[in-house]
Amino acid sequence: MMVMRVQRMPSESFAGGLAARLVAIILALLVAAIAFAWTGADLGKLGAHVLKSTFGSRFGLMDICLIMTPLILTGLAVTIAQKVGAWNIGAEGQFSAGAFAATSVALYVPGPAVLVLPLMVVAGALGGVIWILIPTLARAYADVSELITTLLLNFVGILLVYYVATGPWLDPSGLSFASTARLPPEIPLFWGDVHWGFPLAVLLTILVAVVLNYTRWGYEVRISGSNPSVAHYAAIPFRRHLIVVMILSGAIAGLAGMFELAGTTHRLQGGISNNFGYVGIMVAVLARGSALGVLLGAALMAVILKSGISLQTQGVSMSTVIALTGLILFFTAIADELSHYRVVRPMRTEN
Amino acid sequence: MDLLAGLIQTSILAGGVLALAALGEVLSQRVGVVNLGVEGLISLGAITGIATVVAIPSPLLGLVLAMLVGLIVGMVFATATVIIRANQILCGLALTLMGTGVAAMIGKAYSGVPAPVTFEPIAIPILSDLPVVGRGLFTQNVLVYVIYLVLPFCIHHLLFRTRRGLDLRAVGENPAAADATGIPVRQIRFLYVSLGSALAAGAGAYLTLAFVPSWSEGVVAGRGWIAVALVIFAGYRPWTAVLAALLFGLITSLGFVGQARNWPIAAPILSMLPYLGTIGLMIVPVLAWQKVRRLMAAPAALGQPYFRDIR
Repeated sequence: MMVMRVQRMPSESFAGGLAARLVAIILALLVAAIAFAWTGADLGKLGAHVLKSTFGSRFGLMDICLIMTPLILTGLAVTIAQKVGAWNIGAEGQFSAGAFAATSVALYVPGPAVLVLPLMVVAGALGGVIWILIPTLARAYADVSELITTLLLNFVGILLVYYVATGPWLDPSGLSFASTARLPPEIPLFWGDVHWGFPLAVLLTILVAVVLNYTRWGYEVRISGSNPSVAHYAAIPFRRHLIVVMILSGAIAGLAGMFELAGTTHRLQGGISNNFGYVGIMVAVLARGSALGVLLGAALMAVILKSGISLQTQGVSMSTVIALTGLILFFTAIADELSHYRVVRPMRTEN
Repeated sequence: MDLLAGLIQTSILAGGVLALAALGEVLSQRVGVVNLGVEGLISLGAITGIATVVAIPSPLLGLVLAMLVGLIVGMVFATATVIIRANQILCGLALTLMGTGVAAMIGKAYSGVPAPVTFEPIAIPILSDLPVVGRGLFTQNVLVYVIYLVLPFCIHHLLFRTRRGLDLRAVGENPAAADATGIPVRQIRFLYVSLGSALAAGAGAYLTLAFVPSWSEGVVAGRGWIAVALVIFAGYRPWTAVLAALLFGLITSLGFVGQARNWPIAAPILSMLPYLGTIGLMIVPVLAWQKVRRLMAAPAALGQPYFRDIR
């Protein structure tokens, strides 16, 4: 008799993995919809509202691009750290530090925007680098879990921004209680309200993908991340790659903060990081290490975030979006594991 | 003197949240499962605790219900990580996001409402009149004694003095070998991950019913992550975990004292202390002797799902 058996495979097929993830995302959205319906919300009305505010108008699409910009960068930051086998859960803090550093340039360096903006870009990246430096060195030289150290620095970064935005750098005009004055250097606009940060983020993603996939350095980084002992055997300087890539990861997350500051908010305000760092982890998980994936993941999460914002009048808050993000992440993790299983027929044996 | 007495009392009270959550995480990590959802579990426990006492004024009921919620959520987490064997880091992060998100959603209605009843401090006669330490050590709510004395004793006894504990540690060190000797690896992992989650949620109820005592968004403020860091720092041992939590209570209460006494340091800067302190302490043990480091090492199979068929 033929017995069907389920067997776990070391790796899953691309199509199978993709299908499992789609099912996971749909299931998560379904659970959220059921939860909404249970609280007595009119799902049809909510759905129509979401569609209209996202894909239904030019402004909706512009907003999605604006939200995508920081998400592409934080997602990219988490992704490249993963490539070398590190968990950068601290994009939130590096984002804040980048925004903080860029603000300090905007406040204290006089001059035309053409000169100040590049300086702000450098400062933003540098802020992110400083924020990831200690976790990087601790991981590289003392094997301290970078997952926890980067995460803890998130709270410090958010507190730092909150402190300067309500204290020393508070808007002197007295119109605001929790932000700096409007900072004059602005990233020029690209399409409607969308600033040049968006195409630059996309370009940077493509550049990183090319370097990782088509250069010797990228190859060594990928080997270091997937199997450190093989890297060691092949005389690949694992520690050096780890340090360089983690610092790069921090720089990209810091850049996200600078773009958000000079492109979208134009003021340093408490909570400027707005969970972009945490959602960036989700983007990286959805992307699974591919650059094209980062763009798609960022698009999906931007649509979800934008939907959440557009539903705020209906009593949906940022917390709802965060909970939903967690739900999608949970189902995705399960789907990734389940897609390793294959139904196999054992070979027929004669007695 | 008064400053010191107050500092001791607040340190012990503040450290209780971390101690309870860290004890739960010790259980989970000893069987080889990293539960990064502690932050979410504390949030859920905190909101369950406050919501319960607003409806029915019994802090004990609040604690029990919070732990029940933690147990159920922990079972969901254990199903994903132990039975289905999905990635533990991702599931933990997901649990943190879900927990903090859902707690904040429910918490809107309770924001800023002080807990109508709390775990009141009880003064132990005579001892509580001791100078300096009397107030801190002997005028605390009942949970403090449970968290700092009863629980670490029980967990230490379980882990290092019973057959069950030997099985439990074997599952975390070498699940394949444990399985070969007939120890039910999955059952043990499932049980202790769920129990650990219940303790983490209990820490949330302690936060809103004994320490703060009220709910506001962001009240948990990374304590779950500090607790996870403590477990590593404490070498996965219950007594050291509790002591480390006390140390963190001290760092936290330094911030409070600083604010109360108008030290010339801004409040947000003082609030950074626990996080910076945690990072500092995570790096310190590395400088310790090789022998101590080996003693404090993580369970060998930590974070690795166990597949019987792939060996």
